Amino acid sequence: MTTATSTNRTGALQRAMLYVIVYALTLLWLVPVITALITALRTNDDILARGFWSAPTVFTLNNFVLAWTRGGLAHYLPNSFIITLPSLVFTLFLSSLAAYALSRFRFRFDRLILFIFVAGMMLPFQILLLPVFRLMNAIGLYNTYWALIIFHTAFQLGFCTFVLRNYMRTIPGEILEAARMDGCNEFRVYRQIMLPLTLPAMAALATLEFTWIFNDFLWALILIQDDALKPVTTGLAALRGQYVMDWTVIVAGSLIATVPTVLVFLFLQRYFIAGLTLGATKG
Amino acid sequence: MTATPVIPAEKARPARRAPRARSKSWWVPYVFLAIPLAMFLMWVIGPMIYSFYLSLTNWDGVSAPKLIGLRNYVRLFNDRVFWIAIANNAKWVVSFITAPVILGLALAMVLNRNIPGAKGIKSAFYSPYIIAPVVIGLIWGWMYQPANGLFNSVLRAVGVTDPPGWLADPRLATWCIIAAAIWRQVGYVMTLYLAGLQGVDPSLIDASMVDGANPWQAFRHVIWPLLSPVTVVVVVISIIDSLRSFDLVFVMTRGGPANSSSVLANMMYIEAFNNYKMGYGAAIAVVLFLISAGFIFIYLWQTLRSELEY
Amino acid sequence: MSKWFKFASVLVMLSMLIALGACAAPAPQVVEKVVTQVVEKEKVVEKIQTQVVEVEKPVVQTQVVEKTIEITQVPVTNMVYNSYQSDPAPRQVDADIVKMFQEKYPNITVTHSTVAHEDFKQAIRAYLTSSQPPDVMTWFAGNRARFFIDKGQILDISDVWSSEGWNESYPKGFQALSTVDGKQYFVPTSYYWWAVYYNKKVFDKLGLEPPETWEEFLQVCETLKENGVTPIVSGTKNAWPAAAWFDYLNMRVNGPEFHINLMLGKEKYDDPRVKKTFEYWAELLEKGYFIEDAAAYDWQDVIPELVQEKAGMYLMGQFVMDSIPEENKADFDFFRFPIIDPNVPIGEDAPTDGYFAAANAPHPDAAKAFLAYLGSKEAQEYVAKELKRLPTNTEVDTSGFDPASQKGMELLKAADYIAQFYDRDTTPEMAEKGMAAFQAFWTDPTQIDTILADLEKERALIFAEE
Repeated sequence: MTTATSTNRTGALQRAMLYVIVYALTLLWLVPVITALITALRTNDDILARGFWSAPTVFTLNNFVLAWTRGGLAHYLPNSFIITLPSLVFTLFLSSLAAYALSRFRFRFDRLILFIFVAGMMLPFQILLLPVFRLMNAIGLYNTYWALIIFHTAFQLGFCTFVLRNYMRTIPGEILEAARMDGCNEFRVYRQIMLPLTLPAMAALATLEFTWIFNDFLWALILIQDDALKPVTTGLAALRGQYVMDWTVIVAGSLIATVPTVLVFLFLQRYFIAGLTLGATKG
Repeated sequence: MTATPVIPAEKARPARRAPRARSKSWWVPYVFLAIPLAMFLMWVIGPMIYSFYLSLTNWDGVSAPKLIGLRNYVRLFNDRVFWIAIANNAKWVVSFITAPVILGLALAMVLNRNIPGAKGIKSAFYSPYIIAPVVIGLIWGWMYQPANGLFNSVLRAVGVTDPPGWLADPRLATWCIIAAAIWRQVGYVMTLYLAGLQGVDPSLIDASMVDGANPWQAFRHVIWPLLSPVTVVVVVISIIDSLRSFDLVFVMTRGGPANSSSVLANMMYIEAFNNYKMGYGAAIAVVLFLISAGFIFIYLWQTLRSELEY
Repeated sequence: MSKWFKFASVLVMLSMLIALGACAAPAPQVVEKVVTQVVEKEKVVEKIQTQVVEVEKPVVQTQVVEKTIEITQVPVTNMVYNSYQSDPAPRQVDADIVKMFQEKYPNITVTHSTVAHEDFKQAIRAYLTSSQPPDVMTWFAGNRARFFIDKGQILDISDVWSSEGWNESYPKGFQALSTVDGKQYFVPTSYYWWAVYYNKKVFDKLGLEPPETWEEFLQVCETLKENGVTPIVSGTKNAWPAAAWFDYLNMRVNGPEFHINLMLGKEKYDDPRVKKTFEYWAELLEKGYFIEDAAAYDWQDVIPELVQEKAGMYLMGQFVMDSIPEENKADFDFFRFPIIDPNVPIGEDAPTDGYFAAANAPHPDAAKAFLAYLGSKEAQEYVAKELKRLPTNTEVDTSGFDPASQKGMELLKAADYIAQFYDRDTTPEMAEKGMAAFQAFWTDPTQIDTILADLEKERALIFAEE
């Protein structure tokens, strides 16, 4: 802050304007979210009688209760975690291995392997539904948690490997080289140097992957038939009727289901968006 | 995208290890790759190749598949809806590699500084990404309602006498869905950029500012090149997402009115799962895959060529 | 670095959960097998089921199972019932029926799960071809059931039909819907009517009477429009409400026989008779009798218009009443879709739902017992009372039904032919193309010739493959 006062003043003005724009945009972004929140507090009859954009006449928390009981959320939520967490850990771990190999070594077929990973994430996955179902059914994993855990892990490998590889390439080679000079073998370099350095990318990926796997519905629908194993998304989906949609309950149920994702985001965001504190203390 | 002289070379680009320096440990990368690659081949690439085969059959998902040659493809290329879907996918790609990327990057830049309430803002922009598509479809559908919807109420309030029908208008339906998709996507892109910015040493920016560069110049010549690996990821992901876009189309219009907002993934889903034409659906998926593969080849060719310089 | 350690420790905790997941994964199947051989009281069974959820204690689980073996006398079967009845009211009734069944058959427990209707249609192919199919499933009567029956996926339940005496107590039409090559595979349980629903308050205010003929109908529309009321609402974002208009206009103009032949691919869409149907439809559209931008609305979105008396009529199935707010239900009534040509036999849409069991159901005997119960007088009476849907079993005493159900039954009795509905009568693929065409026509009625020519091309292609 050694610049002249005049530039400082225009800078402050510019900054104020920037803030106003950012805050306004944030509010605009929240309009549908807030609308959803309000909807969850209304009654379906209120909407059906007065129209969606009418001022709510009643506020009730009953929708959350209904969604919780009718959607069987208490029963399905543990399953969601049993499926999501192992998938998340396996994916991040395995993809960091692959990304390390693909970013730090040159070897025969390296490009082909990278292409395989990238290509696999491009196919619209819906078309894999029935082939994967048949495979799972044939090897006896159909209708088990493992069917979902294994598939999510495998399928997300493409994306995670791709992102992590690109991130790892931005890490200066000198750091790794120094470790090697100290006599570390490759696995120690990976574990003690590379992994800590990829933390921001891992945290960002963990957030996204958690969101995706936790919200998955189609695979659970196809790979699991037993009600005792189904994740929460299937319970929520079953709130939608063939004809009659209990909108307020559906919205309330979805909002409940976002809570774990929000918590994960809030918990992990410090790792990937903690501001410049790390650099600041250094400087 | 080559680096500018401002950047110290070792910061911008990682050095690669010389391949033959340690030939005795040639097996190391294969050890790292063994499990992930095996899993990926078994559960993704295998079923993918199987669905290539299915595209040559008349499989209905229940009976045994019967080979019918290229009939599915012939039919597909004569299907009017297919060409509508291709055109719509093009609109999605163009929109997705521009709007969310620019907005997401701008937000990440702003939020990476110490703006008051940054945490709340980050959460606000990420929040659409975690809301179930069904709910997004409901809320946006209501916002678009022609008679009493939010948009038209605002338009009428400012004096527009004949506001559009939005989702009911075949010319507008796709754009309406894309707008909702951009709304959802921005937080995601922002997240990726925020992670990327962690790799940028802030002292570099300070240094360039001291050198008299204005913020835009500092961004253009320092940060942007440093972020290029992230940008590559974001663009590739945006292209893939836009080509695979499906859930919002399905909940907002189901491809209608009269297929006008159909996209390939949505068309594939309806053919395969609603119409029981797995073979035909697989053919659509293969075409979609080939289009994506085209983009990925461009990406690989670009990045690997620039990486080869070392 | 400490950050990294925190992050890592979270990961470690997560991986401990994996172990739990691993223990949990195979458990339910094991338990299920044991349960089939074992047990007597429901309470004990419930105990086991809760153990399945509490995955952390597999040891305790085995103990419980051992204990139960000691008490056991009668074998208990734990069968699976997957339902697509995901609408709030039917879903509740569905659960009640399961409960009633279990009270009657204490040696059978039913694991009942509800899958959203749209998703069920997609999952059923995985269900039926898997190594562990559900025992009993909900499904549509008619062509959609036939698809799986022809492929040998459905359990032959002729013995249930004869032992329950359904060959006498079910009307011939429903018997035909359930029979393929002389064997029964399906239990139709309930059906409902379609009609033009209207707001009585609006009609009363303008002195209107429910129309019976096309001319009267047009007159009603005109009066409503003159008074600033939208005559007809529809929400065609999902195209099926538009298909109802096609079904009815086509049956009224060309008769049910032609209509059903068209559904079966035996008539052509570019037939002048089909075009005539669309001309009637176009008249309504061109006169502005329909709500503007119908495709922007889901079918429920337009109900506020009706309730607030801004609109008059809605061609809908009986389930529309489930969505009318409680306080306004009394304002609504319905009339038969107006007669266009009195010389043409009367066809009505009355979709029938029912049940079948998987051919390789793990518990065929329990499945049959459950199907027998679902088709019984007792279960059907309950459904009819709670949901106002109509029972298929003629043993059900209908005299106590409320006036709306009585009227609905009369409406269907007066019909010469009962159709299922556009998307059930024709193939799923044809239905998809047809309904897209209806949307296209709705947006621009002048394009009718091109639309029908395209549709005919599709029809030829689709039915050539059949």
